[in-house]
Amino acid sequence: MLKTDLIAKNPMGAFNRDAKGNDVARMGLVVARPGLGKTAILVQIALDSILRGKQVVHVSVGESIEKTKAWYDDIVSDISASAKHEDMGEVQMDVRKNRMIMTFNASSFSRPKLEERLNDLIYQDIFRPCCMIIDGLDFAKVDRQMLTDMRELQKEANMSIWFSAVTDRESQGEAGVIPAPCDAYGDLFDTVIMLQPESGDESKIFLNVLQDASGCVAPGKSLRLDPTSMVVWGATF
Amino acid sequence: MKKDLEKVRNIGISAHIDSGKTTLTERVLFYTQKIHAIHEVRGKDGVGATMDSMELEKERGITIQSAATYCTWKDHDINIIDTPGHVDFTIEVERALRVLDGAVLILCSVGGVQSQSITVNRQMTRYKVPRVVFINKCDRTGANPKRVTAQVREKLGLNAVPLQLPIGLESDLKGVVDLVTMKAVYFEGDNGETIREDVIPAELQADADTARETLLDAVSMFSDELMEAVLEGNPTEEMIKDAVRKGTLALEFVPVLIGSAYKNKGVQKLLDAVNDYLPAPSEIENTAFDLNKNEEEVILSSDPKQPLVCLAFKLEDGRYGQLTYIRTYQGTMAKGDTIVNSRTGKKAKVGRLVRMHSNEMEEIESAGPGDIVALFGIDCASGDTFTTPEVNMSMSSMHVPAPVISLSITPVDNKAQGNMSKALNRFTKEDPTFRTFVDHETSETIISGMGELHLEVYIERMKREYNAEVNVGAPQVAYRETITGRADFNYTHKKQTGGSGQFARVAGYLEPFEDGEYEFVDKIVGGVIPREFISSCDKGFAGSLEKGALAGFPVTGVRCVINDGAAHSVDSSDIAFQLAARGGFKDGYLKANPVLLEPIMKVAVEGPSEFQGSVMGSINQRRGMIIGTFEEGEYTVVEAEVPLAEMFGYSTVLRSLTQGKAEFTMEFATYRQVPRNVAEGVIAAAKKAAQEKK
Repeated sequence: MLKTDLIAKNPMGAFNRDAKGNDVARMGLVVARPGLGKTAILVQIALDSILRGKQVVHVSVGESIEKTKAWYDDIVSDISASAKHEDMGEVQMDVRKNRMIMTFNASSFSRPKLEERLNDLIYQDIFRPCCMIIDGLDFAKVDRQMLTDMRELQKEANMSIWFSAVTDRESQGEAGVIPAPCDAYGDLFDTVIMLQPESGDESKIFLNVLQDASGCVAPGKSLRLDPTSMVVWGATF
Repeated sequence: MKKDLEKVRNIGISAHIDSGKTTLTERVLFYTQKIHAIHEVRGKDGVGATMDSMELEKERGITIQSAATYCTWKDHDINIIDTPGHVDFTIEVERALRVLDGAVLILCSVGGVQSQSITVNRQMTRYKVPRVVFINKCDRTGANPKRVTAQVREKLGLNAVPLQLPIGLESDLKGVVDLVTMKAVYFEGDNGETIREDVIPAELQADADTARETLLDAVSMFSDELMEAVLEGNPTEEMIKDAVRKGTLALEFVPVLIGSAYKNKGVQKLLDAVNDYLPAPSEIENTAFDLNKNEEEVILSSDPKQPLVCLAFKLEDGRYGQLTYIRTYQGTMAKGDTIVNSRTGKKAKVGRLVRMHSNEMEEIESAGPGDIVALFGIDCASGDTFTTPEVNMSMSSMHVPAPVISLSITPVDNKAQGNMSKALNRFTKEDPTFRTFVDHETSETIISGMGELHLEVYIERMKREYNAEVNVGAPQVAYRETITGRADFNYTHKKQTGGSGQFARVAGYLEPFEDGEYEFVDKIVGGVIPREFISSCDKGFAGSLEKGALAGFPVTGVRCVINDGAAHSVDSSDIAFQLAARGGFKDGYLKANPVLLEPIMKVAVEGPSEFQGSVMGSINQRRGMIIGTFEEGEYTVVEAEVPLAEMFGYSTVLRSLTQGKAEFTMEFATYRQVPRNVAEGVIAAAKKAAQEKK
């Protein structure tokens, strides 16, 4: 199987590009309670850009570089195995070339700090990200100002920024409604997706599109995650 | 010999270069009455510290090899393993960390947490070593133990809490306040050997009360009993010690002690802390691999009656032949016992058994679990496991990383020649990552190892210990070759020059082999190649791997499959098939898209955040791939993968880029294909060098 097929089989491409295949920069959010696979989905979104030769910065708040790297290694080997992609080395090389990990302590993450570290890369032309993943930020503690700052950064740099957020364990969420603690920030995001187990059957986890202002995917659409690898490879919206 | 395992401590002393590690060890030996005079590291008496037994160490003032030494303190047996700090000696550091159960991390009260301490701390965390922090050099101008403790919490991420407060600082340092006993402790006499306890000076009472409260808050987490006692207002000394110990063993708490080894302050209290808070061998879980069960992990018990399992962690060439340092994990080893080396399967008899104190020794009859002793007359390499004949276990996996850098050495005269081979013979036994061989074509001796400094140290040692002066060539990167495609071959070797001729035909294919260096597959049917010549083909292929046809580097990752061939009843022979296989390999190799591989190093550069940009720029220029960046306090660490070939002289470049404020560590990561444009240059250079040799 060729790399182009791998790209085509990644439904997360729909969150990066419009129907004509043009990249649409956006601010996105993946919400779920702990343990449902937020990071796996973010990595899949990143892989769509990476395999298309675009660069991605993966910001891990409170996680180590090693752990973050392991997420990519696991998902790449999972999809390569299931897609019977022969040249795993090529995919791994793409990931090494086009992904950079930055880790922050939970207390020290802020837009100025992030920008300082990003600019070091961009000014020297070492790395030019088109997409940034910010995983592990505690939404119960963020303030509106910081997210507004990030929104500005996203627009200025014309890149996509994807966040993950943990919802309260009790929060079941009504259909189509962004759960707490993110409910107050819905207006700052173009796209919001939520991972939810089917009620009564915890082993079936679905990815539900809560909102999408970019018009790439219609809100209300849903996909089922592979229960073992927590990815949604091969499906389409 | 004392048999009480609860009272044995195997500890390491680790620190950044020049934090005073050797000075501290010297004081420990003095107070435990192992030595009767104190020699300074760079002392005027020219004797040097007792632990730095190698000439080179004395001269450079650094500790290269870990010597094990034994002492007793308040009826506890303490084995001290002096560990090297530099990362180029990784295998020694890691071996030492396996052998010890607890560690003292020394920090300078002025310099604080330096990058080497971060590396050492990370290694200790990886090997789950409980530790005690000793803030040394509190007599120096600018000493600030409080700030250093804060750095330990922040930069090393340890739950470090002081057990002591200094009485006076810098040149006024008089003693410490013990927050467990709430007493002032003074160290008196010429060498601080007399301890005097007194009431806490009035001006420090308030500080001491606050600090004790912080300590109780932190440790009451680990003991319900203490928690209750604290609430009722009557915690006892024993309860606090017990809680500190629990927290330390669980790796969730790190006691901080202070002092100045050079001024003889605080060392005895540190020894108390080693006894009180660091684990006995029985409190640490050690595992071995059962070689009879496919390297399955087995938990060792510290029972002296179980079968013996022990690890040879260091070799030394003494006046009386080879001395092997051994740590026993399980069972007992006594004089006259038969033990088996699980790597070679060879049996040996335990002859003289001694306990080492740097260069002096003490004869003993037997060694039980947790002991660190030395054996005479045992032939083995470092890292070998010895067991009783009935079990077959190994303490470490047999995997040793391949060397990544090499250089040629030529002895300056005949005398040096003999000494050099003696030295090389010794070093290769001591250190599995150090290798040596003679290049057939140039007759040069090549040594290879894990980094520039690694080789430099051995060249120095050769000169000093063996009086072997050598000329050294430029360092060479250990390139390899491999194939990326499949190719058929069909080769006939024929020779008819009167008398019996030579005839053999071998056919098959070559293909990439990802799981190892080389595999030979015999798919011959119908006996077209007679049984007895199959192994000749294998030998022929294996021989071809030494030098690839692309640029003359060793070939790796090839599967050689034979599926056809022919033999002659008279003219076929072992050598004919070997030559046919070599011919076949040559035939197929260039068709199978051979490529060049180079060693890629995992590089971590740590320095103040403001230099991050220039650090990343310098890595980028060196064909490096930045994996990520992370924060460690005020420092930013850049992790990258960089080809070794681009890393020569990087320390100088980094120093000038960052005003000497950044440091880097480097270890071998993997072999990866050399980019085409770079490969062309390497191949051309290799061919030119080969031409010149002719």
